[in-house]
Amino acid sequence: MPQTTPPGQFARMNDQVDRSVRSLLGRIHVNRGVGRMLVLFALAFGLFAILNPRVFLNPINLQNMMVASPEVGILAIAMALAMLTGGIDLSLVAIANLSAITVSTMFTAIASSDPATAESMGGLIALVGVLVGALAGAVNGFLIATVGITPILATLATMQIFNGIAIVWTGGTTLYGAPAVLSSVGQATVGGVPLLFLEFLVVAVLIGVLITRTPFGRRTQLQGANPTAAMYSGIRSTSVLYGTYVTTGVLGGIAGLVFLSRNPTASADYGTSYVLLVIVIAVLGGTNPTGGFATITGVVLATLVLQVVQSGFTAIRLSAYEYAIAQGVILIAVMVFDQVRVRRRPRPAPSSQTETIALAEIPRA
Amino acid sequence: MSATDTRIRLPRIGRMSNELVLASIILVLVIVMCAVNPAFFSVHTLFSILRSALVPMVFALAVLFVIISGGIDVSFAAIGIFAAYTTVSLAQGGGLDFGLIGILAFAIVIGGALGFVNGIVIARFRLPTLIVTLATQGIFKGVLLAYIGSKYIAELPDGISWLSTANLISIESTRAYLPMLIVPVVLLVIGAAFVLRRTMFGRGIYAMGGDLEGARRAGFPVVRLQVMLYVLVGAVAAIGGLIHVVLGRSANPQDLVGTELDVIAAVVLGGASIFGGRGTVTGTVLGVLLVQIINNSLILMGVPTAWQRAAVGFLLVIGVGIQAVMARRASRRTFVLDTVKE
Repeated sequence: MPQTTPPGQFARMNDQVDRSVRSLLGRIHVNRGVGRMLVLFALAFGLFAILNPRVFLNPINLQNMMVASPEVGILAIAMALAMLTGGIDLSLVAIANLSAITVSTMFTAIASSDPATAESMGGLIALVGVLVGALAGAVNGFLIATVGITPILATLATMQIFNGIAIVWTGGTTLYGAPAVLSSVGQATVGGVPLLFLEFLVVAVLIGVLITRTPFGRRTQLQGANPTAAMYSGIRSTSVLYGTYVTTGVLGGIAGLVFLSRNPTASADYGTSYVLLVIVIAVLGGTNPTGGFATITGVVLATLVLQVVQSGFTAIRLSAYEYAIAQGVILIAVMVFDQVRVRRRPRPAPSSQTETIALAEIPRA
Repeated sequence: MSATDTRIRLPRIGRMSNELVLASIILVLVIVMCAVNPAFFSVHTLFSILRSALVPMVFALAVLFVIISGGIDVSFAAIGIFAAYTTVSLAQGGGLDFGLIGILAFAIVIGGALGFVNGIVIARFRLPTLIVTLATQGIFKGVLLAYIGSKYIAELPDGISWLSTANLISIESTRAYLPMLIVPVVLLVIGAAFVLRRTMFGRGIYAMGGDLEGARRAGFPVVRLQVMLYVLVGAVAAIGGLIHVVLGRSANPQDLVGTELDVIAAVVLGGASIFGGRGTVTGTVLGVLLVQIINNSLILMGVPTAWQRAAVGFLLVIGVGIQAVMARRASRRTFVLDTVKE
């Protein structure tokens, strides 16, 4: 391609920006996930902005995207946290629904006798929802850390149990009613940015700090990277796992509150497609599904990328089914790209990758 | 000395009798059910449990193979409905009624092709199976609904529609019917057991699940085995999808997807190790039957159907929990023995 033409120049400039961004990110040890998600985000956003600027760049659409992303995003952060320890949490959506159902039931029960008290106790009721999440997380922690069940099986079982309890509780119907506090949070904006989105960012920052800046975060990383080494370094895996799954439970509970803020209804089968979507987001964001590595920034960006693709598809009139295809293709493409790049680059002595090699199948013959 | 003996023997008994434990749980459950509700003990109940177990059984076989090889597949349900729906809509709308054999072959080819996609991506790029099948599940379902069809087909082509009402055994007096489709399912079960036990392919799958690198060094063509495995799983899933469509007498493209985890739960209950290398067809059959019996007996006991999900969850916790505690005790014991030796 001739270098003088604008596209060539543009590509070169793009390349340069890309490279400098990547080296910058590489220097602070977060290049995996974050870099490629930034690029993907810019690409997706640019593509849809060009294809249908009138709809896609409409402030209402942008605001909708910001309102829609938190519930999935918070669950994805929780999933990344579970994956960081080498586990997985399939019960997250069930926990979120259980929390939403608890809040809705409590509110309706109190409101039936005294609506004013119910409203004034809104914050307290919401806290109970989070508490339910923590409790559910503690059940997961007990099964995984104390009993010693593999996380994927333990949370598969508790997913069925929590979901079953929710079905029994609601009788399979949709409950209506939530404290006005939550709904007003769902509708409020700060300088054009929805409050829910800010809430999402706050959660992300808190968990990010928890992972990277606290002893607990260090321990979770070590536990995920190499459980045996962690044990010999004096890390008590039981307390690390309890801490992790209670935290993911709390995040699930918060996600339940976000469900209610967007829409004052709760049901047992809301967001069943989220279970797998959340794993997709966590992995796209650079989380190593075998443990030891996760970046919350990457997960947040991955959430936004998928949200942009979803809204963009709607803007250019593609169906939800085509969005499902795009999700799968993006996931495989990113994973394959990652794998090819890892294989080309001569690897220094594997550090946190020992588990990955064991699990990531056959070396090329 | 005798103390050491029991120490070593205990966990082994626990492991060996896994199928026996399941069988006795089923037996106890059936006896309790009969005591609580005499209506349970009837041919009608037996046949309806078997009927409801047909589709999960076929899927469970597919899942068993993947789990033994050390992977997890969540795309089989999408493959099953993709193959079945595409075949039915072609046979119906395209006017190409190939007859039973033709339709079956067509569905199997589609399922095998989709499985091939899984196998290639997993084996060629060495990606985690859960993540890949998660992605392909979305792709398969999306392609099916976006490009092939999203309409409910209420009438099956003549080639297979007669199977919906064909019964192997029908007892008119008690209105108990055993569908003809149990024959292919039983054949598949026997076939799966044969492949796993008696063929190089089957042993290779166990070897891969035990230790992939070890299997490779032992001379198994791991990449080829893995691709073959996923093609096979796709083909079996297609048969499962077709049976589902025939039993339901309609093809709904929204069906099946979402039931993956239930099937995986049944297989794990059947004693297959999620880490690979362990699992038997007998255990899987018992696991699937146990889940179906529980679902069925809860209804007869007057427990709301809403409890079914939770019941299966509790069962899974108990089953896997016992396994985990035993494994932990076993490892602790060997640890103690080692230090004693030194």
